[in-house]
Amino acid sequence: MVPPIYEIRSLKHSYADKTVLDIEHLTVQPASIVGLIGPNGSGKSTLLRMLGLIESPTQGKILFNGREVEPFSDEARFLITLLPQEPFLMKRSVFKNVAYGLKIRGHSSDLVSRVNEALALVGLAGEDFARRPWDALSGGEAQRVALAARLALKPEVLLLDEPTASVDAASAQLIKEVSLRARQELGTTLIIASHNWDWLYEVCEEVRHLFKGRLFGAGKENVIFGPWHQGQCNLWEKRLPDGQHIRVSEPPEPDAVAIVEPTSVAGASDATLADAEANILQGMVSRLALEKTNAEIVVTILIGNLPFTSKLPRQQVQQENLYPGRKVRLNYNPYSVKWL
Amino acid sequence: MNFILEGFFQAFHLLASGNAETYSAIWATVKVSSYSIGCSLFIGIPLGFCLGYFDFSGKKSLRTVVDTLMALPTVFIGLLVYAFLTHRGPLGNFGLLFTLPGIAIGQTILALPIVIGLSATAVESMDQKLRIAIMSMGANRRQLFLSSLWEVRHALLAGAIAAYGRVMTEVGISMMVGGNIKWHTRTITTAIALETNKGQFGMGVALGIVLLSIALCVNISISFLRRRY
Repeated sequence: MVPPIYEIRSLKHSYADKTVLDIEHLTVQPASIVGLIGPNGSGKSTLLRMLGLIESPTQGKILFNGREVEPFSDEARFLITLLPQEPFLMKRSVFKNVAYGLKIRGHSSDLVSRVNEALALVGLAGEDFARRPWDALSGGEAQRVALAARLALKPEVLLLDEPTASVDAASAQLIKEVSLRARQELGTTLIIASHNWDWLYEVCEEVRHLFKGRLFGAGKENVIFGPWHQGQCNLWEKRLPDGQHIRVSEPPEPDAVAIVEPTSVAGASDATLADAEANILQGMVSRLALEKTNAEIVVTILIGNLPFTSKLPRQQVQQENLYPGRKVRLNYNPYSVKWL
Repeated sequence: MNFILEGFFQAFHLLASGNAETYSAIWATVKVSSYSIGCSLFIGIPLGFCLGYFDFSGKKSLRTVVDTLMALPTVFIGLLVYAFLTHRGPLGNFGLLFTLPGIAIGQTILALPIVIGLSATAVESMDQKLRIAIMSMGANRRQLFLSSLWEVRHALLAGAIAAYGRVMTEVGISMMVGGNIKWHTRTITTAIALETNKGQFGMGVALGIVLLSIALCVNISISFLRRRY
């Protein structure tokens, strides 16, 4: 087996007294695409900054190609690059921004051609554009220039933090295509934090869910926040926005966060919907996305306005005739709920 | 009023005729202020960067001390430097009292808190995303330091101008440490003070005009540099 490009061991990171990351073990294979999913404040950006050697963890180790690394490590700083969520360009021209990393690496002979090549990759070719100052660019252009500056380096690892969050649809599409091309042509390992589940499930070999700084599962779990109220039959329940109740086993505290994994999803007629039992939620399919690795389909079901996801084999999706807009019944086991 | 006007005419005459005494004071001022501003920038910018960039215990107290020292009275610095450089003082053996290097030491002490304080402010106002951007491109510590400074270059220049202005126009240190010795340690400001006391307004006005001209030249050069970079 190929040794991992990254290995995290017993990593903990705190700001003041608050632990924001707590990861026991994580490995990333070379040339793979790993997605990170989680709500705001779950620690995705912090984890990317650790992997990008921008910050040191409070405790634990990060190994890169088998060697322990930290910010400014000579063996890794030229091989890893991070594209932050908000584009930040230095107060200099587009050309100088893209050339910065290359100059640091001592590439002076082929500087112009590599900068132009990188700008062309992100659809910003032209000498006039290269001469523009940093403050004469739109948000989308700035993000593409920032990406060009990273691609020019031909990195071994490209860390993307919400790369499409603050750009228009066209720029987002281009950023997605170019990142994947880097992986295809250069064998670059991509680690992507994004709220765009469809995209992540479509391109990533592995999607990891991050919540309150801890990694769990493969991203298909559904996180339900409290408060929980005591209901019937020793079960606790939470009223969902559309009036349904989700019932769970006794939580460790009334405000605990539950992880619910659906056991089955079935198409439903209006008649069966009217007959809904406990442990069954009624909803509507909102999205279907093909998962890359084992060709399962990620089904997103809206219950009220709460999205639930479940991975289903293709045949089942066909059999149940699931399509966006289809009403479904989602079954789950209240006693298999996990608590965070 | 006439004597002021006459002073102006005399000033132009002195400058146009290349009056040796006038030019000696100008040269002494340019020389000593260049030494002191050079030293204070060399020492003050890295210290200001550290003060603004890093978080450490006692940072706020240190910042208060630096801000207070920005208002150090020149005569007090003159007194301290005099005490150290006089023959009975700890640095008396170096023979720096009543010399231009002696004045430069005092003026460096005057400019240093200004450079440190304004550099720290410039670095503190730096966007935190800049550090991530520079480090994510693979910069080492030295490159991070230099690139960060380059990003706040305009604010640093403003700090340097403020410090230069203070150094150029001070009288207390030059008078006490330099002794206002003709042809030797007489600077523009001490010469103006002396000539005014003697009733020689022409010389005083001439030197005042030169002082203003130097300030104008420095500011024009800085404006050019800001537009260029």
